Parts: sequence; structure tokens; C-alpha cells
Amino acid sequence: MTIDLNDKPLPPLVKTNSIEQVRYPCSIAAMHSVSAIPRVIPITHCGPGCADKQFVNLAMYNAWQGGGYGGGAVVPSTNASEREVVFGGADRLRELIGATQNILDADLFVVLTGCISDLVGDDVGSVVREFRDAETPVTFAETGGFKGNNFTGHELVARAIIDQYVGPYDGPKQAGLVNVWSLLPYHNPFWRGDLAEIKRILEGAGLTVNILFGQHSGGVAEWKTIPQAQFNLVLSPWLGLDVARHLERTYGQPFLHVPVLPIGAKACADLIRRVVAFAGLDPAPAEAFIAAEERIYYSYLEDFTTFYAEYWWGLPAKFAVLSDSTYNLALTKFLVNQLGLIPALQIITDNPPEEFRPAIEAEYRTIAEDVSTEVEFEEDSYIIHQKLLRTDFGHKPPIIFGTTWERDVAKGLKAPIVEVTFPTTYEVVLSRSHVGYRGALTLLEKIYTTIVSASA
Amino acid sequence: MPINLKTPVVESREQRLGTIVGWDGSASELARQSAYARGCGSGEGKGCGQKARRICELEGPFTQGSVCSEMMVENQAGHILDAVLIQHAPIGCGAGQVSYNLRFRNGLAARHKPVQNIHQICTNLTERDMVFGGVAKLEQSVRDAWERHHPKAIFIGTSCATGIIGDDVDGVASAFEAELGIPVIPLHCEGFKSKHWSTGFDAAQHGILRQIVRKNPTRKQDDLVNVINLWGSDVFSPMLANLGLRVNYVVDLASIEDLAQMSEAAATVGFCYTLSSYLAAGLEQEFGVPEIKAPMPYGIAGTDAWLREIGRVTHREDKAEAFIAAEHARIAPRLADLRRRLEGRKGYVATGSAYSHGLICVLRELGIEVNGSLVFHHDPVYDSQDPRQDTLTHLIDTYGDVPHFSVGNRQQYQFYALLQRVKPDFILIRHNGLAPLASRLGIPAIPLGDEHHAVGYQGILNIGESVLNILAHRKFHLDLAAHTKLPYKKWWLEQKDPFALAKRVE
Repeated sequence: MTIDLNDKPLPPLVKTNSIEQVRYPCSIAAMHSVSAIPRVIPITHCGPGCADKQFVNLAMYNAWQGGGYGGGAVVPSTNASEREVVFGGADRLRELIGATQNILDADLFVVLTGCISDLVGDDVGSVVREFRDAETPVTFAETGGFKGNNFTGHELVARAIIDQYVGPYDGPKQAGLVNVWSLLPYHNPFWRGDLAEIKRILEGAGLTVNILFGQHSGGVAEWKTIPQAQFNLVLSPWLGLDVARHLERTYGQPFLHVPVLPIGAKACADLIRRVVAFAGLDPAPAEAFIAAEERIYYSYLEDFTTFYAEYWWGLPAKFAVLSDSTYNLALTKFLVNQLGLIPALQIITDNPPEEFRPAIEAEYRTIAEDVSTEVEFEEDSYIIHQKLLRTDFGHKPPIIFGTTWERDVAKGLKAPIVEVTFPTTYEVVLSRSHVGYRGALTLLEKIYTTIVSASA
Repeated sequence: MPINLKTPVVESREQRLGTIVGWDGSASELARQSAYARGCGSGEGKGCGQKARRICELEGPFTQGSVCSEMMVENQAGHILDAVLIQHAPIGCGAGQVSYNLRFRNGLAARHKPVQNIHQICTNLTERDMVFGGVAKLEQSVRDAWERHHPKAIFIGTSCATGIIGDDVDGVASAFEAELGIPVIPLHCEGFKSKHWSTGFDAAQHGILRQIVRKNPTRKQDDLVNVINLWGSDVFSPMLANLGLRVNYVVDLASIEDLAQMSEAAATVGFCYTLSSYLAAGLEQEFGVPEIKAPMPYGIAGTDAWLREIGRVTHREDKAEAFIAAEHARIAPRLADLRRRLEGRKGYVATGSAYSHGLICVLRELGIEVNGSLVFHHDPVYDSQDPRQDTLTHLIDTYGDVPHFSVGNRQQYQFYALLQRVKPDFILIRHNGLAPLASRLGIPAIPLGDEHHAVGYQGILNIGESVLNILAHRKFHLDLAAHTKLPYKKWWLEQKDPFALAKRVE
């Protein structure tokens, strides 16, 4: 049952409820947004397999990222049985939270609920409130799998921590302090390295940065300073906007929305200048940072011409990106504007809420001054692969940026593939980054090593 | 309790076999309490009431994420070459497609079959479906499965959500089976319905026995042996070829025809009774295909007995004896060498239940000390109820007791104390979640991704080589151990008893 490339005539592609070869898990997978904060541990109130399934598939078989301090097999779970379905799971949850307080060494626990709890209607809020004086604070988010995917779950978790742990604040703001809302931790396998590079760039621009997730986050102490920030920066096409609006309402914080996660010197300079202007910072140090970074960046690009301009055996001219919206837009922007590649197929796969789609489409229509392209929204890999097979890439194969699911289709098209988003199973990723100045160079190395190494 | 194929819902392991997931003691005590006997404790029937095969179980307030039956349905029904598995569930259950896809693809590559992605479709239920029901989406996904792939069978796995809202999955399956003219098989595998995930193996095998296996075979294949396995490398074909037998690997990487012809085979074996118990017993009960009742093929004594029983059942005693003699002679020099090089080493086994019994046999065959093991559940009996399959007793009788033999459904927080009790040089594992903790303690793990690595005579040598290799890895783990902090509180790490919080439940 491999895909038959000669399968004619082609049936029309009809979108149904079916999702074959998943490209996102469910809300409770946002337990990874919890464990992505240093020393914060999720407590899952769900069936026996939920926590393991989300970990194994999102953090293990997705670029072998690992569980971190309090993720993976550490995560407590009520492992709900028939008893919790019939009689409710509140007592069991109370028992688990109590035991967790004694066993796990954390700064904060976040309870996430699964389908069972949300269907039988456990009053999780009441149970959690009983622990208001516990040694380690406890918050909760209702993330039943039927409520949405891990992107929406991520925003539920962020809001839960802000509302229930960070709490009210009406003190002064700290000029130059910014909260960054960007990549979805673990879903994008490069989130750790990417967030580190984003923090580095924003600091170079003269800001103090609450990066909030990953190795460079200061954990709950950093989260406590969220209300003091001068503003929020949403660095993605849509993820984080809901949180930023919530923070605007809660703490009166303005936010700057930059849809393009910056890859390469042009996008970085653009971001830095927008942020500096928004924050009202002195542009001089930022310009000095840009100049210093560009000197190094472009010296490498000069060296790259030995390959890019002189490689005998041909390189792809067109590309397809089949990924979540943040990486899709960022890669498309970079490939068009930095490398001069031609966009042939862009499919966004994270199911952005309808309200954000027109603005995302507009970004693609103005992807460069002289280039306009269309973007599509699909989540079912069967349809995505059919669209890939039905695209006219011209006289030679494109380069495909996608997931493990595309490996066979890519092989059929004789196209090189770079796995960039969930699921990325045939990659091991630790601190590798694709964004900023440094990540862009790593991305070039990855793209062209993939192509060259497949030559013979 | 015989296997009941009349209803579409499989009986859980705890109902059929008295399965437990929490226990601590010596292997001999566990064998005595199981002992294919009845009742709690010493068999006097005290403590646990009169229910058959009930062993008192430890249950504590703290639990970490386990594994569910639905995953094991994916593990089985999702890996059939020309079938589609529909996951009738919210999208989170569909996440399993990712890891199983790698096992499927890499398994196909290892068996020299064309590599392809798995065929699983999630019905993607949302909040609205929880209110109005998900049947219409299920029907659409069955149609999508058919139109996209024209499979030979369609399996439908349920989920916690559909179990609670009560979608009529059986009705949808029956209607489509009539319409499409292929088996459409409901697999009831709600995670909350069984305390151990291995019920999911049984759920998938139950559906296969009911709706795929050929009911009235017109031929008998006297040289065909069903081998119930997963994605392991092809170890059984060359081994059984020495007896003039062919191998029919099931369930993973098999075709629907491979599954259908199971009723024509001369015998059924497996690499692990945890996996093969239900299907093998069902094939014998319903179709008269004998299940090989012997210790599993691990270590010299187990492999000898296993081959002899296959020889007896398939009337190939002479060939079996000749093969056994030749293999003993073949491995002897290398085995002696490995024993010398492994002298004084201590190992620990943390795997599925019956598999652990086999692996301990192999380690002890190599002269490695094994003072502890963690099994993820314990079945007091297997479905055949035949004492010749009492793998735990075989281990104890052949190689001696295991003083620290623990049952727990992969609870990492207990693993620290378990390892402190025996301080092994390395561990054997298969499931994820425990080795990262061992790493942080400086202990390397051998992940037995290829479940056939330890099988048979060659398996003893394989494990010996792997242990030597992994001991070299200690440099990495010791360095890490010096630079890491565990997420557990000091108070808990100081507990000597991994079950300190647990109490006995009846």
C-alpha cells in the first residue's frame, strides 16, 4: 500500500475528519510546555497511557529530545481506571497531588486533565485549591484531548500559570524587559537551540529577556517577573497571541507581534529594529550588534559561494514546506529572500484558529518584494502527500521541508528532505538551531549536506 | 478459564489470569503464590477471598504515567501490512502513530521488506462529538480507509473517550463488513478498563481470532510454525529450518493472509508468553493448532526443552536432537570465553514479565550475577494454564532464586531504590522510561529493541557480546552521574523500600 505515483486518474481531494499520520497530538501534550520550564513538573490526571504516549511521541521519537528534569517517565499520573470513570477521580487526584508533594522536588506543579476527567466532570479546581498552602504550589489546566491540540493546550497552560501562580501585579514595569512567546516547546524539535539564539539576539538589541522555556529560562523566578515586563513579543504567526492579549488585559502590557521567526541576517535585523523602535530603546547599541553579527554572517556566506555558485551537479531551485505555521513562514521567508529559491508548495499543518488565517495568508502573498505565494492549511498527511504528488515542480525535484511522514513520497519524487517539525524521527536534535544569525548557517549546512551526501 | 470468543470485548488479563502490577519479594515466593495454584499467599485461600489465582497486590498513592491497552492494539493491529487501523479517538491517541511508525519502518527494513509508513487513521474526535457522539466520523474514516487503501481488513480501536460516550463501534463494524466485503474488526481497548496494557495485546488477538483466522481450513501445513513476535530480526526461520520447518511470523509485519493461515499451522510458538499467551491458546482451543508448552527459548536448558517439544509436536525429534547437539558444540568455545570475560559482573533485568524470566536465564547462563529484576506485571498463569509454561519456576529450578523480584508497571520513582538494593553493573531493558534514570546513576542499559536478540543458543552469545560492549559505555554514564540531579526529594531517595508508600490490597 505504498503510494502509487502512477495512480491515475486522480480522485478529488476531499477533506474529512480523518487524520492519517498525525502532525500534532492533543492538548494534554502541553505537559511538555510545563516540563520545558526548569524545575516545573506536570501532574497528569488521565488514563494510564496518556502521559507516556505524549512523551514517547513528542519528545522521544520526535528528534530524541529527552524528558528534561521533570518530564518523560517522571510525570505523575492518576492512571485512571474504571473506578475513576464510574465514581469520579477527584479523590484519586487529591491522593496523587499529596504524594507528589513528598516525592518530587519541584518549584511548581501544573495539573493537566485528560479526556476521562473532563468527561466525567471532576472538579479539579476544587481539589487543586486544597493545596494552596502546600510546600510546592499547584496550578491546573483542563486539557482533555478532545478540546484541541497541543498548540491550544500550550496557551491554556501558559494562562493557567500566569493566572494561578504569577498572580495579580500592579507595581512598576521594568523598561527593556520583554516576555517572549514563540515556538511550541518539543513540538518543534529545534526549540531549545532556537530560543537560546532568540534570547541572544534580543539581548544584543539591548533588551532583558524572559525567554520562559528551555535551558536559558530562569524557571518560576523568571515567570514571576512576567508582569513587570515592558511588553510582550509574539514571535510566531499566531501561537502566543492569545496569551499576549490576556497579558494585555491582565497587566496592561502592550505586545508586539512579529509573525516571522527570524532566520538569517535580513530577518534578524528587521526584528531587532522593530523591537528597538517598539521598546523605545537607544538604537546605537543594537546597530552595533547588527553590524558585528553581519560581519561574521556574511563572511561565512562569502565562503558558501564556493559551493552555492560553483557546485557542478545542480541544486534544487524550488521548495515545499509542510510544517507548523511558525517554521513554515520562517523557512519560506528565508529560502525566498536569502537563497533565492522558488516557493512551490506551502502547507501549514498546525490547524491555526480561523481568525488568524487571513493574516497568515497575507504574509505569504508578500513573502518578498517581488514574490507572492499562496499557503494552504491541511492536517491530514494523506491529503498533504497527494498535494505534494500533484504539484508541478518543473524539470527537477524540489527540496522538501517536512516530517518523517514525507520520506517515502520524497523518495518517489527523488527529492531531498529535511525533517523540521513533528514528527522528526530520523534526526537527533539537542542544541541545534535554525534561527537567528548562527542558526541560519547551521540550516544552510543541513540543507546542502543533505543534498550533497545523497549524490553518490 | 477458556478463551471466550463469543463477545467482541476481550476479557481483561486480571479477569482471566489474575494479573497484578504491584508486588515485591523473591522470585520463589512469587512462584509459590502463583504456582498455578489458587488463592492468596500460601494457597490457603486466606486474605484475598476465594477468587482464583488472586495474589495480594501492593498499591500506593503515587503513580507515574504507565502505558495503556490502546497502545498495544496499535502495536499489533497497526502493523499488519495490508490492513488499516482506525483509532476512534481524539487526536492525542493518534500520537502513537509516530513511534510505531519507526518500529514498523525499521522492522520492515530489518526483514528486507519494502519500507512504508504505517496505516493508521484517527477519527479526530472533538468536543462536539463528545456531546453528539462520534459514529458519523467513524463511518467517514472507515470509508476513507477503504477508498484510500483498499485494505484486506479494517480494524477499529476504541479509546477512553469513546468508551465513556458509548459509541456503537460494533454496529458500525458489522455494517461496513457487510458493505465492503472485508473483515471490519472492532477492538475494545479503552485504557481505563484494565490495569495492565498487555490486555491490549489480547484485544487485538481476540479480534484476529474472531474475524481473520480461517475458520475451516481446507489444508494443513505440517511444516508451518506460527511465531508470535513483534518486529524482531529473522532469527526463527534459520533456526527452525534445521528441523525442516517454515516460519509464519505474526502479528506485526504480517499480511492478512499470514494471519488467516494460522489455523493451518503445525504449531504455535512465541518469543514471550506475555505477548503470545492469548493468541496461541486461542489457536489451540478453536482450531486445534498445538501451542508449544515448554520453557521459552532462552538459555541452554530452556532452548533445549523448547526445541525438543517442537520436535515432539511436529514429529521431528531426530532433527531436533541433531540440531541441539550441533549448537551445543558450536557455541561452547565462545560461551566459555564470554563466561571468563564476564566473571563477577552483575546485571539487572527490567522488562515485560515472561521476557524477564527468559533474559535472566540468559544472563545466568553467561555466569552473570542477577540478584534483582523488575517486571511490569505478573501473570500467575498464562491462558493455556499448562505448568510446562511456568517460566518463572523454570528460571528458579534451573538457575536458582532471584532474591529481589519486583512487580511494578514501570514506575521510575521506585527504580532508584530497586537499583540501590542490588547495585548492578548494567541493566537490560526494553520499554522506555527507566534507562534514563539508570544513566543518571552511572549504570548503562542494553535496550533490547530487537526482541529476538537473546533467543536461542546464539542469543546467549549475542547478549554476552552486548554486555561487554555496554560495559564500555559506563564512561558516559559515570560522567553524567557526576553532573546531574534527580527530580526526587532526598527523603524519597533515602527510602530503602521502593514500596514504602504502598499497602497490600485485596
